[in-house]
Amino acid sequence: MKRVNFFYSTKLTFDDYVHNHSFALRVIPPETDTQHILSCSLNIAPYIPTKQTVDAFGNNVTAGYMRDDHRFLDFEIKGSAQVNHNKRRTDYMPCYLYQSQYTKPDNGLKTFYESIKKKCTGTVAEKAEYICNILSGTVEYEKGFTDTTTTAEQAFALKKGVCQDFSHILISLLRMEGIPARYIAGLAFCDGETHSWVEYWTGDHWEGIDPANNCPVNDDYIVISQGRDFRDCAIDRGVMFGKYTKQLQLVRSEMT
Amino acid sequence: MTQQVQFTKAVGNASEINELLRRYGVKFGIYKNGVFNEQFFPFDPIPRVITAEDFQSMEKGLAQRVKALNEFLFDIYHEKKIVHDGIIPEDFIYISKGYLAECEGITPKNNVYSHISGIDLVQAKNGEWYILEDNLRIPSGASYPLIARDLTRIAAPQAFEENPIIDNRGYAELLKETMENVNCGGARAILTPGRYNAAYFEHSYLAELTDSVLVQNDELFVEDNILYYHTYSGGKSRIGVLYRRIADEYLDPLTFLPESLIGIPNLMEAYRSGNVGIINAPGNGVADDKGIYYFVPKMIKYYLGEEPILKNAPTYLPFYEEDMKYVMEHLDKLVIKDVAEAGGYGVVFGSKLTKEKLEEFRKTIIAEPRRFIAQEVIDFLDLPIIEDNETVMRKADLRAFVLSGAETKVWASGLTRFSRNPDSFVVNSSQGGGFKDTWVLSR
Repeated sequence: MKRVNFFYSTKLTFDDYVHNHSFALRVIPPETDTQHILSCSLNIAPYIPTKQTVDAFGNNVTAGYMRDDHRFLDFEIKGSAQVNHNKRRTDYMPCYLYQSQYTKPDNGLKTFYESIKKKCTGTVAEKAEYICNILSGTVEYEKGFTDTTTTAEQAFALKKGVCQDFSHILISLLRMEGIPARYIAGLAFCDGETHSWVEYWTGDHWEGIDPANNCPVNDDYIVISQGRDFRDCAIDRGVMFGKYTKQLQLVRSEMT
Repeated sequence: MTQQVQFTKAVGNASEINELLRRYGVKFGIYKNGVFNEQFFPFDPIPRVITAEDFQSMEKGLAQRVKALNEFLFDIYHEKKIVHDGIIPEDFIYISKGYLAECEGITPKNNVYSHISGIDLVQAKNGEWYILEDNLRIPSGASYPLIARDLTRIAAPQAFEENPIIDNRGYAELLKETMENVNCGGARAILTPGRYNAAYFEHSYLAELTDSVLVQNDELFVEDNILYYHTYSGGKSRIGVLYRRIADEYLDPLTFLPESLIGIPNLMEAYRSGNVGIINAPGNGVADDKGIYYFVPKMIKYYLGEEPILKNAPTYLPFYEEDMKYVMEHLDKLVIKDVAEAGGYGVVFGSKLTKEKLEEFRKTIIAEPRRFIAQEVIDFLDLPIIEDNETVMRKADLRAFVLSGAETKVWASGLTRFSRNPDSFVVNSSQGGGFKDTWVLSR
């Protein structure tokens, strides 16, 4: 058990004024069995009223709409939580067993799975660790080759990627093995940005595993959102109108 | 048949009504090879006639089926009891493209999912009706018999004086009631993707009939999780129920396809918060999936504890070993449907394939058993249509409209579609078929 302070901010700056801007943020960490949120404040600038809901996957959604012209949208969360991974999460959904948009394997990934499946034996945890271990020896952590639209099969073909790609490939392989798995977006000590990892279903609860670092998840990890893949977990999604909607995104996170 | 001939005489020549239809602009858009064409939907003046007795049992059977389908949708997006109890294998739910995990846990107002259901039936030569498929997403076509009836009434008023035909104009009131039943406070609206959509004519026609605002997405926005439309004066006005005529995936770019340009950002948040009714509910595709069709009679027993009144066409699921064996042995006699396709696409008649194609197809089915269903070809009762002043017999089906408001009601009319090609069983309007009015007799 550990008490952690977290901070996360995004600054979106547009090249020109935009208007009729709708957004949905998944940025407020959910209260779960493993993390008790002691405090959390969300600040959005320019000021606009927002509404909170909880989506199908258990994520906190903050929705807002800015009709008038504006050139930026900044938001930040600041808070603290009591984290205890000895407690177990049991919020299962059957869809986690099935491949989703980002994890659907092509022949390359299927062949790879076929080549490792024989040695993949033991308990669910042993299988997951085995696959994660093999993956970390096969794909290299390298920035700049993939982006948020890269799928598991694309990243696997490149043999390069970042935490998001490692998560997608691992989820794809686990689901091929018949193990339900979900994508986690969150904060971890080792990152200056957001981090991503995977939870697999043991048959009775979720266990966290961090494929980018090839290690189990401990009390240094805070879950912000979860879902079938990145698509369900994007921290911010928005639609706006304007002449130039190109944007610059600056992200910062901290955990102490 | 003598009755049919009598009706032919009663309504006279098609040309006058077709001319009226053309003038009123009843059209149907079709895409072919990426090109949009607006086509006239050919009308045949000889109505399909359903006797009062036939309609009574059909009515009960359809209401029963739609009730069970609504229960199923509620169950799937909540407790999933039907899966836990082993009635439907889990795979069939979660591999279905129509299942939307994003809709888990959402409870639509009054638990109605399929407000407007288009159930396609065929009548066999022995007079028995069979269900061909359920359409629970955005079934179209109700406007065609409505407007054709209006025009026939002008062209041949005596037919309605001489015959006990139930007036079908009640659809407007029925639809209005159905919309009001899930209105969360505000105006009624019909959302159209615009005039290049195949059913644009229908969208505008239904808006007029139900006194709803006809809107496109750029006139709408969600603020404080409430759906509004921009008014002419620059203000905003709340929408309480949205009869949307765009597919689920395009409905909300912040929940579904981010590249959708025809959706409304955060509509799903407004919906989840109970601030707007959406007709039909997003996620209904899981219940009208061709693979799920097989299980509907089981659903009726499971949820309602009743025996199904209307039969399914005899259907086989290659997913089950026993059925696969049968399908492989009788492939040349069966009709095979790709569960992911709609609108008459992806339908293959084994009898129409060459030996080579048949073998190729066999391999496809073995490789992807979940993708297909196989059905016995039903010996349809052909209906007379007029072609070049002669009466010829053609295959036809019936789309019955079932509306679920406070009660589940079957519209005493429906869209009868026929194939203009004498060899074809495919009657879909997107495949160039024509339509007839459907007369339900009151006695």
